[in-house]
Amino acid sequence: MTEPSLVALLQAAADTAGAYGRFPGIGARGAVWIAAEVHLMFAAFVLGVPMFAVVTELIGIVGKDARYDKLSKEFTRLLVFAYSATALWGGLLLFLVTTLYPRFWTHMARVFSLSMWIYAGLFFIESFTLYLYYYGWDRWKVGRAKWGHFGLGILLNIWGTTVMFIANGWLTYMMSPPTGVTAETLPEKVGLWNAIANATWMPINIHRLIANAVFGGAIVAAYAAYRFLAATTDEERAHYDWMGYVGNFIAISTFIVLPFAGYWLGREIYQYNQQMGITMMGGFMSWLWIVQAVLIGVLFLAANYYLWTGMGRIPGAERFTKYTKWMLTLLVVCWIVWATPHTMIASREELAAMGGAHHPFLNVLGVMSAKNTAVNLMILTTFLSFLLYRRANTRPTVAWAKTGTLVQGAMFVLAAGVVLFYGIYGYFVEAIVRIGFSVYQVAAVLLCIISVTVIDVFIGRGAESRGEIQWGKMPDRSQYALFVLAVTFTWLMGLMGFARSGIRQHWHIWEVMRDTSVDAATPALGFAARMISTCVLIFLSLVAFIFWLGTLAEHAVAKRGATHELPAGVPAGVPPGLPASAPGD
Amino acid sequence: MWRTNLKILALTLGVLAFYTMIANVIPQLQSEVPAALDLTSNASPEALVAAGEKIYNGAGGCTACHGLGTRAPNMLTDYAGQGPIGARCGTREKGVDCKAYLYESMTQPTKFVVSGFEPIMPDMRRQLSEDQIWATVAYLESQGGEVTVTADDIKKTAPAPAAGGGGSVPPGGVAVTSTMDPVALYNEKGCVGCHQLDGKGGQVGPSFDHMGARLKADYIRRGILTPNADTAKGFEKFAGTMPQTFGQMLSAAQLEALVQFLANRK
Repeated sequence: MTEPSLVALLQAAADTAGAYGRFPGIGARGAVWIAAEVHLMFAAFVLGVPMFAVVTELIGIVGKDARYDKLSKEFTRLLVFAYSATALWGGLLLFLVTTLYPRFWTHMARVFSLSMWIYAGLFFIESFTLYLYYYGWDRWKVGRAKWGHFGLGILLNIWGTTVMFIANGWLTYMMSPPTGVTAETLPEKVGLWNAIANATWMPINIHRLIANAVFGGAIVAAYAAYRFLAATTDEERAHYDWMGYVGNFIAISTFIVLPFAGYWLGREIYQYNQQMGITMMGGFMSWLWIVQAVLIGVLFLAANYYLWTGMGRIPGAERFTKYTKWMLTLLVVCWIVWATPHTMIASREELAAMGGAHHPFLNVLGVMSAKNTAVNLMILTTFLSFLLYRRANTRPTVAWAKTGTLVQGAMFVLAAGVVLFYGIYGYFVEAIVRIGFSVYQVAAVLLCIISVTVIDVFIGRGAESRGEIQWGKMPDRSQYALFVLAVTFTWLMGLMGFARSGIRQHWHIWEVMRDTSVDAATPALGFAARMISTCVLIFLSLVAFIFWLGTLAEHAVAKRGATHELPAGVPAGVPPGLPASAPGD
Repeated sequence: MWRTNLKILALTLGVLAFYTMIANVIPQLQSEVPAALDLTSNASPEALVAAGEKIYNGAGGCTACHGLGTRAPNMLTDYAGQGPIGARCGTREKGVDCKAYLYESMTQPTKFVVSGFEPIMPDMRRQLSEDQIWATVAYLESQGGEVTVTADDIKKTAPAPAAGGGGSVPPGGVAVTSTMDPVALYNEKGCVGCHQLDGKGGQVGPSFDHMGARLKADYIRRGILTPNADTAKGFEKFAGTMPQTFGQMLSAAQLEALVQFLANRK
């Protein structure tokens, strides 16, 4: 064989054998990481916002309140732009995966081809439903047509949720392929439904469904905050103050139930594979939860700060301000406990002085008993803040109001007592028993939230007003809290994505297909954090661009005199059109 | 409005920097890929123990459970007055010696579960190769006992090579062999076409003989992964002909085995 033909043969063999492609600069992993993460952030936004857009529209229809309808339309307007970005990043991700990870992609395509075609088809249908939903808003605004329009909103949510469930089938297959599937199993023999309905599929579905609503609410609140700061009239300020409040309300109220979905997902991971669960909670990822605690602490503080600041615009709220410092103290103490690590990184001398890797005092706070107690108390405190906000401008008129309020207080004390009791008792029992205690703590908090809310709804019936909420009378600094929330929620999504993906370690598909690339090792948190920050920055920059595009279009419409297209439309003065109390009343 | 925009930008960057900083100041733990071993011939007990210690404390993930002693017995310390694992392993199961017990614990973990613990141990054959498992057994034996693992144990339990050279064909049709033998890799991956070894092979690229005397390991590794970065003296006319895909054709462990083999050929 001649030299050139030998070289050509070798090159051909090498090309056909390539399991991995190369990407300049940041490498294949970096490229796919960014594309997947940014795509996911946009996807979460476009799946989350329709959920509360349609609910807001329903409130507007049932309550015959045009302002909710306009708010809903404004939510949807943001979607139209965001959909294109979602599709573009999705396309980029697809090209990157197929060219950089061809062996992996071949396997996935052989297992999931049918679902991939359905996914693409549904995306088309979803897009057209969105266009009909948005552009048909003013055409179908009364009578039966309005209900038909509302039906489009429902359909939009169904298509979007189905699309997400299909994609979740792919990614959960990577982390928990059905038992019995091994490296020797032919992909065609796995079975489509068998692959989709794997152990972590439904927990991820539910977790993401809730998280999308949280995320959508946070981004909408940030949009409203931006428009509030840019507003030039009182009407605009009032409208965007209200919109920011609604977005934040949705984000925080749904966020409070998110940990419960997280518990379920964690439990399923443990049941699927103990080693994977231990890697996640006690292995190389154990420090990730300290970072998560820092972020969630910021979320709680920012959300409460926003509520407390917002009470300044509510007549009658001043009677509750004396409690703020106590709630703040409790939140900060709980945050510190939650973020306390179990093991310390220390020098040899420090280790000798401590008598081991565990600090004699901090060790007590760094265990799950203390952390679960802290997070549950933070949830209760935030719920109390919201309750005070909600009650601020009302004077109950029902005869049993005092008794009802006492019962509500007792529910709080009882829930806090259960949380503290099991938190302390956990130190005196075996780990296997202690794990079960978190269920009791969570159940007590959930029961408190549900029962207190139900009582509050009935107490509030026929309540007198202490004065209407002065929408727009918010200090600018409160709006920056909404930006902190949006950035933190976005970063948290990136961090949790790393946790979910990283527990596969050096497997593309857990114990089925090894990652043999140069990036097979799962990186440390420092590297992951830099990647997450990059993704968040890209996403937020694009979102800012989309928001700017929205205002650009708005100005153009305004110049043409088509004032009916303007989103606010709130009457002047203390906006009589805006709700006099918080959503949920 | 520009002032407001700048404030928002500064706030966003500040929050991102804060979280990035937090994540960078905490301990940086990376999940390593279990290093493949080549212990099938003439492996000394010391080499087995050393390799096993790395797996136990690193990629094997053993310490996540056994290090704490709460989820699973601690291997390296006394348990119930019976000493560390090397001292107690021979008395765990009647009629099963230490080596067999430890191997069984890693490959059939639910067959015998120590009283008071849950059957949470996974079958380590899905994570580790046979030689990695045997190296871990040797390390555990060394904790208070005598190392009885030999290279023969690895040979006995190693899976029979598949037809066609011991490789498996994963989904997608890409041939990825599991061999760690650098000479086998030299022949199988086509190096033989261009590089000489022990007087055999082509002369399109530099000879592998005495390569370690001329080049350091880092340079050799770079030469395999990015062959066009440098051109060996005397081979300028063949510059650019070496395929750039050996990074994908070799697993990380295979690459390392090949690099070390070449670096040691002084």
